Amino acid sequence: MDWDLVIDIGRLVACVVLAYMVVFVAALANIVFERRALAFMQDRHGPNRVGPHGIFQSVADAFKMMGKEDFRPALADPDIFTLAPIMVMIGAVAVQLTMPYTKGFTPAALNVGLIYIVAVTSFTTMAILLGGWASHNKYSLVGALRSAAQMISYEIPMILALLGVSMAVGSLNLDVVVTAQADYKWLAFYMPFTFMLYVIAAIAELNRGPFDLPESESELVSGYGTEYSGMRFGMFFLNEYAGMTIMSMVAVTLFLGGWHGPFEDLIVVGGVSVVPFIWFMVKTYALVFALVWVRLSLPRLQVDQLMAFAWKILIPLGLLNIALTAAVILWVPRWKWGLLIAGWVALVAFVGLFDPILKRRLRRQRERLPVVSS
Amino acid sequence: MTLEIGTVDLTMDEIAGRLAAAFPVELSAVSVQEPDTVVAHLERTRLKDVARRLKELPQLAYETLNWIAGVDLGAQLESVYHVYSWRTNTYLELHVTVPRAKAELDTVTDVWPAADWHEREAWDMMGIRYLGHPDLRRILLKDDFVGHPLRKDYVDLAENHPHA
Amino acid sequence: MPDHFAVPEPDEAVKLALRRVRETTAVGGGSDMEGLEFNEVVVNMGPQHPSTHGVLRLVVTLDGELVKDVIPVIGYLHRCKEKLAEKRTYYQYIPIVDRTEYLASMNCEWGYVMTVEKLMGIRPTRRAEFIRVIVGELMRIASHQVAVGTFVADLSPLGTAMVFYMFRDRELILDLLEEVSGARMMFNYLRFGGVRYDLPAGWVDKCRELMKRMPKLIDEYEALVDDNAIFLQRTQGKGVITQQDIVDYGITGPNARASGVPLDLRRTRPYSVYPELDFEVCTAAHGDVFDRYRVRMDEMRESVKIVEQCLDMLPRGRVQLGSLRAPYVITPPPGSCYVGQENPRGEYGTYIVSDGSRYPYRLKFRDPCFCNLQLFPKLLSGNKIADAVAISGSIDLVLGGIDR
Repeated sequence: MDWDLVIDIGRLVACVVLAYMVVFVAALANIVFERRALAFMQDRHGPNRVGPHGIFQSVADAFKMMGKEDFRPALADPDIFTLAPIMVMIGAVAVQLTMPYTKGFTPAALNVGLIYIVAVTSFTTMAILLGGWASHNKYSLVGALRSAAQMISYEIPMILALLGVSMAVGSLNLDVVVTAQADYKWLAFYMPFTFMLYVIAAIAELNRGPFDLPESESELVSGYGTEYSGMRFGMFFLNEYAGMTIMSMVAVTLFLGGWHGPFEDLIVVGGVSVVPFIWFMVKTYALVFALVWVRLSLPRLQVDQLMAFAWKILIPLGLLNIALTAAVILWVPRWKWGLLIAGWVALVAFVGLFDPILKRRLRRQRERLPVVSS
Repeated sequence: MTLEIGTVDLTMDEIAGRLAAAFPVELSAVSVQEPDTVVAHLERTRLKDVARRLKELPQLAYETLNWIAGVDLGAQLESVYHVYSWRTNTYLELHVTVPRAKAELDTVTDVWPAADWHEREAWDMMGIRYLGHPDLRRILLKDDFVGHPLRKDYVDLAENHPHA
Repeated sequence: MPDHFAVPEPDEAVKLALRRVRETTAVGGGSDMEGLEFNEVVVNMGPQHPSTHGVLRLVVTLDGELVKDVIPVIGYLHRCKEKLAEKRTYYQYIPIVDRTEYLASMNCEWGYVMTVEKLMGIRPTRRAEFIRVIVGELMRIASHQVAVGTFVADLSPLGTAMVFYMFRDRELILDLLEEVSGARMMFNYLRFGGVRYDLPAGWVDKCRELMKRMPKLIDEYEALVDDNAIFLQRTQGKGVITQQDIVDYGITGPNARASGVPLDLRRTRPYSVYPELDFEVCTAAHGDVFDRYRVRMDEMRESVKIVEQCLDMLPRGRVQLGSLRAPYVITPPPGSCYVGQENPRGEYGTYIVSDGSRYPYRLKFRDPCFCNLQLFPKLLSGNKIADAVAISGSIDLVLGGIDR
């Protein structure tokens, strides 16, 4: 018997199980975090009974969901109906294996980390499509198609933002990206416009926040998850929160300096520093909190507004951003300063001009509305 | 056309007088109820005609129907129409009585579209049938309810509620 | 053994909707589902539903995502109030009137009490009139807070934040009303010829303090949504009520005022001490969902002004005619009378026929939401479902009044 092979397979299985566990725990933690944060912003308490400050609420909910009756619509495709919820978490799990968590520890350091991230997150899109199709419900299908269309549309600005990062850093390897941001040279300071593009695209990619119409489709025509119940639905639900963590981790790695922070080499255990891991998690959860905050503060976008925003605004801006970044890197002698200035000018211009222009267009549209007569 | 309220300045007596003059035969017992209502009794056969003409009166156009109530007067059932005139900012209360045995009236939904649900409620509760109504079915009670509860002789028995 | 999957026999409303459905396959025009073949589907937004406010059932005919037709089915909250009136004395009936439009109880009691007073030929004391205006306008603010809060909540998670802020401040108003009348919702406070209790000591100051804070709180609500481009896009131009609709269907209240019609019974058919008060009738020009929201927010500010004026003008005196305990049994002279009153939702009034006995012979409610709901089929057709939910929220329905 080839023990090496057995050990290898055993290690592989252990890693996969560990990876899934990490994602699950992160997702469960996120759910409670979001519910309490939302509650405080709405001037109420939120779940605070189960465990100290309610931290075990998600565990209780998970148990409840697992105990639910598991049925499948008679006409639904049995294999795909079962496959879709299983498949949906693949993206999150696969991405979190390549994250540089701390100095000296990246579970799987890939040379093409950035491309890998983009490629693997599409699994979620596919899983949603499969889920909607397998439900044998016209409205689920439409909801799934809408969701998939949204995710595909917003992948492009995301890729454009990541391209900008790789241009500035000169590599697709996530470790290199993090080490390039040492000494507080965070890419969020140097390329703030790119950061903003990435964050908006990530929120839309996750079907979260103001972009969540496909999943909270006006309570009548519910999205892809209508026919799913119990743990099947739980997987879709968890994936959204797992995605929040993963996207935040990616953003932190690329833009917010990864695991950098003071006291990096304070405690080193077996070649792996402990303190940077804490900084990584703190930054990730700060970004998660921002995502929750954004979700609370904005009304939902309609589907046409969503798509228009992606194709007519974000993608052209993303392309311009790429062109500008490339131009600065190529032709401006001190290109880091050039990036800094260009980035902040772009960000201020966008934030300052977008809202007034939109409002002016809305106001003109409103003036053209007829004053009510017959 | 901006809807204006109270553009025509007439006293209540003048309004009552004009109504009595416009409908000498159909309206009877035209009286004024302060501060701004004219009360009149209307013959049931002339209901539709009068309704249409009321809406088109030159200065008193009663364009809006406020409510319709069914009243059980013993031997007769009464349908009370409360209409509003924007130009004079006054109301007109029309009382139309029908015999209990044959409680039928013309519908006024083609004159005042608001009458739709009000007539359905009067049918549901009082049992006054409105001829020509597009969709006369029960509105507040279940479809298979038996009887008309607001009538004075209604006794609530199990037979009235087949669904319960 | 009962068949769990048996479909119940469709009732009249659903049968009607099915009869109206055209069997041809329809294209889901106007949305991104164009090209998909859809049959028209009859869907039930049943009595229990997160977005219909109250136990309202809408039988919706959908073509893809567009609403083709809506048949509202009501009666799920029917409590036979009009029949109850015939077996209760006038005094005993006041708490029952409270429960028609339960979000605006004071105003409903006022509508009933005014009619009986007119039948009796009595007028309330002057102090009581001012107190009635104060509590009526406070109730108007509270009612609008619920109406706007739940409407915005339909649109987004942002709305849930707004609902909580509005309910938090509504508690302050309900605390005041509880001090005056003893109850938070079903007040049973107005009496024929006055009100039940005089204002407790210190109430005027507390009320004044709250009214000083209220405009800032209203600013807080507006800051959440007013300037938000997404909110504007979702509400402008949708669900327009034309002036012809107002004339045809008897729409009153903020729904009518948002379409530019200055129909406010406090000005067009003045009652109580409103002629002496200085306030504006809030109107808006376009009659869409955003304007209805705007009118309600403006009305909240006007109500604050009215309450402040009344607190300043509050005269001394009794709050009830005769002895402090009004007669339990009154017998109005035979006759009939209707008086309408400006409820937060429109014109609310009672038509009472009296035969001289201690019980009303016939009591009929004129409910604003009943008339507003008639407009639904016309208003919602041709919109997408998400818009339909927003529009129905902006009409502000309270099923208690519709079903009585």
